Amino acid sequence: MSSVSLFAVVILYLALLFLVAHRAEKKKSKIWVNNPYIYSLSLAVYCTAWTYYGSIGVAVNSGLDYLPIYIGPIIIIPAWIYINKKILRISRVNKVSSIADFISLRYGNSRSFGAIITLVCIFGIIPYIGLQIKAISETFHLVTNTPISKNIFTDNATFVVVLLALFSSYYGTRYVDASEKRLGIISAVALESFLKLVFLIVLGVFVTFFAFDGFSDIYAKASLLPDFKEKNTFNGLEGSFNWMILCLISASAIFLLPRQFHTTIVENRQEKHLKTAIWFFPLYLLIFNLFVFPIAWGGKIIFEGQTVNPEFYSILIPQHFGNQIITVLVFLGGLSSSISMVIISSITLSIMLSNNLIIPYGWLDKLKSDNEEKNTKSIMNIRKVSIFILIVTAFVFYKYFILKNSLYSVGLISFVIISQLGPSFFGAIFWRRGSYKGAIIGLIGGLVICYFGLIIPQYYFSYNQEFKGFVRELYNWFSFFDIPYLSSISEVFFWSILVNISLFIIISLSQKGDYRERNFAEIYVDIDKYIQNHENAFIWRGKAFVSDIRNILVKFLGEKKTEQAMRIFNLKYNIDTRTETADARFIKFSENLLSGRIGTASAKILIEGVTHEDKISLKEVLEILEESKENISLNKKLTEQSRELRQLSNELSFANENLIFKDKQKDDFLDSVAHELRTPITAIRSAGEILADDDDIPLEIKREFLNNIITESDRLNEIINDILYLDKLEHGEIALNINQNNIVETYQKALNPISHLIHQKNIHLSEVDLLTNHIFEYDEARLIQVFQNILGNALKFTDEQGTIQAKFQEKDEELIIKIFNTGKQIPEDDLNLIFDKFYQSRNQNLRKPSGSGLGLAICKKIMEAQNGSIAAKNMEIGVEFEMILNNRKLNKEPERIQYE
Amino acid sequence: MKKRHEQKLIILSFGLMILFSAPIILLFNSERAVFGLPMLYVYIFGVWLLSIVASFIIFKKYDE
Repeated sequence: MSSVSLFAVVILYLALLFLVAHRAEKKKSKIWVNNPYIYSLSLAVYCTAWTYYGSIGVAVNSGLDYLPIYIGPIIIIPAWIYINKKILRISRVNKVSSIADFISLRYGNSRSFGAIITLVCIFGIIPYIGLQIKAISETFHLVTNTPISKNIFTDNATFVVVLLALFSSYYGTRYVDASEKRLGIISAVALESFLKLVFLIVLGVFVTFFAFDGFSDIYAKASLLPDFKEKNTFNGLEGSFNWMILCLISASAIFLLPRQFHTTIVENRQEKHLKTAIWFFPLYLLIFNLFVFPIAWGGKIIFEGQTVNPEFYSILIPQHFGNQIITVLVFLGGLSSSISMVIISSITLSIMLSNNLIIPYGWLDKLKSDNEEKNTKSIMNIRKVSIFILIVTAFVFYKYFILKNSLYSVGLISFVIISQLGPSFFGAIFWRRGSYKGAIIGLIGGLVICYFGLIIPQYYFSYNQEFKGFVRELYNWFSFFDIPYLSSISEVFFWSILVNISLFIIISLSQKGDYRERNFAEIYVDIDKYIQNHENAFIWRGKAFVSDIRNILVKFLGEKKTEQAMRIFNLKYNIDTRTETADARFIKFSENLLSGRIGTASAKILIEGVTHEDKISLKEVLEILEESKENISLNKKLTEQSRELRQLSNELSFANENLIFKDKQKDDFLDSVAHELRTPITAIRSAGEILADDDDIPLEIKREFLNNIITESDRLNEIINDILYLDKLEHGEIALNINQNNIVETYQKALNPISHLIHQKNIHLSEVDLLTNHIFEYDEARLIQVFQNILGNALKFTDEQGTIQAKFQEKDEELIIKIFNTGKQIPEDDLNLIFDKFYQSRNQNLRKPSGSGLGLAICKKIMEAQNGSIAAKNMEIGVEFEMILNNRKLNKEPERIQYE
Repeated sequence: MKKRHEQKLIILSFGLMILFSAPIILLFNSERAVFGLPMLYVYIFGVWLLSIVASFIIFKKYDE
């Protein structure tokens, strides 16, 4: 393929990425923002060209050693649920925007620590970026069959790199706040992760099933090769020891590599996305590695006896079979892995460079004197230029130092250097006593060993044949520490980490830390306790004025955003807007606001410039923290208790209302009873008085009076009976006798005793029977009572020549009986009240001449006891009573009437 | 997610550490073919796959 056409493909591919980044940035729809798979895929920035091409080289040259790079992360990833959750929370509340911020903030927000970490990362990662450029450049020449040009400016690969640098610096610096999420670039990286996997699978399938006849075919042929056994098993205990150390290096790299910290922590949008990543990311890595073995050994079989670089088997195999499309696809896959790594690494390094090195050391004074617009612009420019310079430096580095080194060794050296941040990093999260001095001295000790053990030997030989003079003597002297059964990488890792951790622990324990360090140590280790109001956990004492701090905020955030932020703060802590002095919370809050833009260290310096802090002793800090921690747990307990109390008081007041209501009901009832009883007694008494006073009453009248006395006594009796009966019903003292009965027959039984009265009044009586089955389960005697009551009422209110009609029907397993009579209607408002006790007596105008006034109340109770209901309805020319019996729910067992 | 279920994942991490270290991994230290592939590869990728399935199940079942 010609250089021009491949270059065109590259440009098209970059344009596609640009488009995706652009759209994701612009749309910000839910699919992009809340997608845990985009987050998980973006983590696959871990798989660089080193993985894409280098793994295969390692599989061929040193066998199993390519696997620990993934096994290490696989081992630790399930524990992310605990570790990364913690890191995420700490970073969120402190507006951390890079690993340098994260570590240096913990050790007292130290400017120098941040700067050192930045330098470590830059020196560790630049060769790594150079490595990606090497991969792009070499595969470019491989695909186009052109030699690498000596002159940088005529080499096509140079143009690809420049394009890359422009793309990164444009998209990486969209936001001045570095802790802001970059949706566009992350979506592009996720797409690249997806594509590189697909292209690798295409190649794997091609090699396994087209070039060969499946996995077992490759195995059968490869197992005949002389070094097959040696490369595919451990070299005993020694081999497995090296393997374990490599696993450890990669397990720490997955936390510490700046680009991994950036994608996992800084770009995390929701904590729960972590949960998807915990199973999805290992799955991704598994698929990525599935075809390494067949490609490596397939390539070895194909190219046996030829001297070709096995790192580029992926390109060479499809080329060998003349398959142009797969060759280009593989090239694009490699390009993807390189580009995403270069972009993310350069963005996060540029943030560190600006926020932890350039701004706090020198640029801050310039920023202080400018306004918001200018500051934003100059911060962005610093980052843009940094990205560009980083990539170009990496390119130069590649051209002059790593041309001759393999992808694998350069990558691993980066890992070992970055892993030196491990002790201070993990110490930050888990160990309160870890101190700034211990961490920084440990780190430097580890780095010195790495420098002499790895970097000098690796790059020195790029230009020299052997060590000379002083250097040689030095190395001879240190050869005592050689561990013969470890590879040089494992050996240096072992010694450097041992020294690093020992210095860290010993110095931390032997010296008391600074109060600020200890303050952050508490916040870091106990982040779960402080997550809600972390500003409270920041301890600060001194003099500060809101207006001074506000002036600084305005310089970096602008008037509008400052106003907004302050409003939120005042609202959160319920602070009067006119407050003039600033407290610790406001200082921490302002530092956070500035952190994303200029870094935590510079934010602290700026705020320090306008405030006056009083010294606090470590003891005081610890006491305050202890107090606030106790307060928090006490608060929690109190809240819990007060919630319980509130619930209890609610229940009590409800019960009280209920009681008051019941009491009133009882009073009303007693009033009614007294009233009802007095009426017949008055009648009896007056009749008795007349009879007693006057002896000359004619016999006829006398008899009438005596009959009156008997009738009223009967009524009195009836009332008392009904009261007692209702009382029994209400207290569940009457057993129901439920049997299968014929409903129409029951109705007839109820009708019989009063049928002659109905006939006397010339009332037309009719029944409408819509039932197919007449047998239902109910208490017959009680139902007769209900019917008689309603029929009795109907008889009273129906005028002569009126109509009484009963209707039986069944609907949804319910038996419905409607009894209709013509005559006077019930006032709408009273339709429900008529079922109350003594309803009639309260409505004197409807007052009936006889009856206890308890009939309908009894009916209602009876129906309810049988899981039924009763209701009254006004029809056009009369009143209809509707009784519903739920047929299915009835129990066969005789049931006691329940108290309502 | 409850602390108890989070702990299951942490235990999974410890388990993987043991399964991928000597002496256990050395038990499978052979180039002999199992399912047409070297035994050591089958073991490593098998454990890898199982760990994915395990964490997936833990999240599906206990994540509320």
